[in-house]
Amino acid sequence: MMLLFGTLPYKDFPVTFGQVSLEGDSLVADGKKFSRTQGTGAMISAALAIATHFKEEPPFALVAGDIGEGKGTRDIYQYLIDHICSLQPEIITMHYSLPIMALMRKFIEKVKTCPKKPFLIADAGAMYAAKGAGLSKEFDIFTPDPSEIAFLADPQATHPAYISKHLFECDSSKIPQQITDAFRLESAAKLLLVKGKTDYVAQGGEILYTINEPNVPFLEPIGGTGDTVTGLVSGLVYAGLEPKDAAVFACRTNRTAGKLAEPVPSTKVKDIIDQFPRVAKEYYCSWSGVCYMEPEKAEQ
Amino acid sequence: MADATTQKNTKFVGDGIIIFSNVAEAMKGEKAIKANGYEVRLVAPPPQMRMGCDLAVEINLVEKHGIERTLQEKGVHFIQVLPLTKGASSICEVLKVTDLGKWYMVKAGNMKLSFEKESGTIVNVSGGGCPDIPYLNTEMVDKILCKAPQPRDLGYTLCATMLQRAYEEAIRIYAGGGDK
Repeated sequence: MMLLFGTLPYKDFPVTFGQVSLEGDSLVADGKKFSRTQGTGAMISAALAIATHFKEEPPFALVAGDIGEGKGTRDIYQYLIDHICSLQPEIITMHYSLPIMALMRKFIEKVKTCPKKPFLIADAGAMYAAKGAGLSKEFDIFTPDPSEIAFLADPQATHPAYISKHLFECDSSKIPQQITDAFRLESAAKLLLVKGKTDYVAQGGEILYTINEPNVPFLEPIGGTGDTVTGLVSGLVYAGLEPKDAAVFACRTNRTAGKLAEPVPSTKVKDIIDQFPRVAKEYYCSWSGVCYMEPEKAEQ
Repeated sequence: MADATTQKNTKFVGDGIIIFSNVAEAMKGEKAIKANGYEVRLVAPPPQMRMGCDLAVEINLVEKHGIERTLQEKGVHFIQVLPLTKGASSICEVLKVTDLGKWYMVKAGNMKLSFEKESGTIVNVSGGGCPDIPYLNTEMVDKILCKAPQPRDLGYTLCATMLQRAYEEAIRIYAGGGDK
């Protein structure tokens, strides 16, 4: 099971757990519809696209409405803590949520009592909570953007809005040093996928890969284009790729989908998401050297 | 909003502090914030933060925006909200504006707001990781800057605080852009 955890931008959306499907422009879990174009929804949509391509079991979503007060965040943490050991997911991706360090501590304490530890990925508020609580090393992948890697590299910061000024003012050429610092300070997960003009994949303090192409500058202003990278890497790890390879594929998939969508700053992220099946079908064979032929075509 | 189990088992430790002008106001503030479900505790301010008072309220800093609004709604006066960390004594003030042809992208800290130069329409909001950001995106995108709801009115978190700064800068740029 791939379990995707996060809040939805609704005031009154109850705690919902269920396998995800796509219905028109909406996602559905346990009979409840929600948008695929915002935050957690964009992340789930990307993971679903990859699971569908590889004919894997669709992901499960654990979501609740939260517009910032924190109630939905607390409710889904409690559900996760209560059910994590019985659900036994192979992967959990934790996303938009109020960064409440005490709940993250409780969750990690509970995970340690389960028979098998899931592969843990975090981004957004969940990543802030893990870093703030000193639990980054419990996670397998973080997917920060440039301001968030500066946050991870700041030993004092508990939120990206409060990172030291000198880190904020740094240009992107300082990102490699910030990656090194984040690992040194034990603020990094085992693998970092830093999303930006250049994407970085780093493990054990070492930058393994940088991805620059295709370069699509108009992806930056489009809300949700970082969330999709988190969903893509989740789906690719679940499909069996090594984490570092999954990270590279996620970056290349997002960039290529962006190029195919021919975006402008007013483009919405769903237009990028709609390109993922095409990218997977047309490019994964050449990128990986491993090609898959549809059975019915093979028989002809 | 406070988790009852958490409160019983875990002593609350926040990462931010609200400074009040006097003890009575601090106690009033604590009561108002708690009544809205936030986890807080009354503490003595650290020596370097003492500003004539000897009682403060420790908070979860990410909830700053919602807590400030609660205090304003209840008529509780406070001096300042500060982080309880060394070397990060104030919120990041860095603003960056990128010209994207027909659009501007305004970045404040970790938040970005993009708008169309001609119409002033907000076309996208990106960045941030707190739950109010996708909600603010829904409420603000595709609206004209001056008619869009403001993050300070709908948001609760530090991400919303940064988005408010980007929004104010966007308004300033648009207003200075002539007779649109």
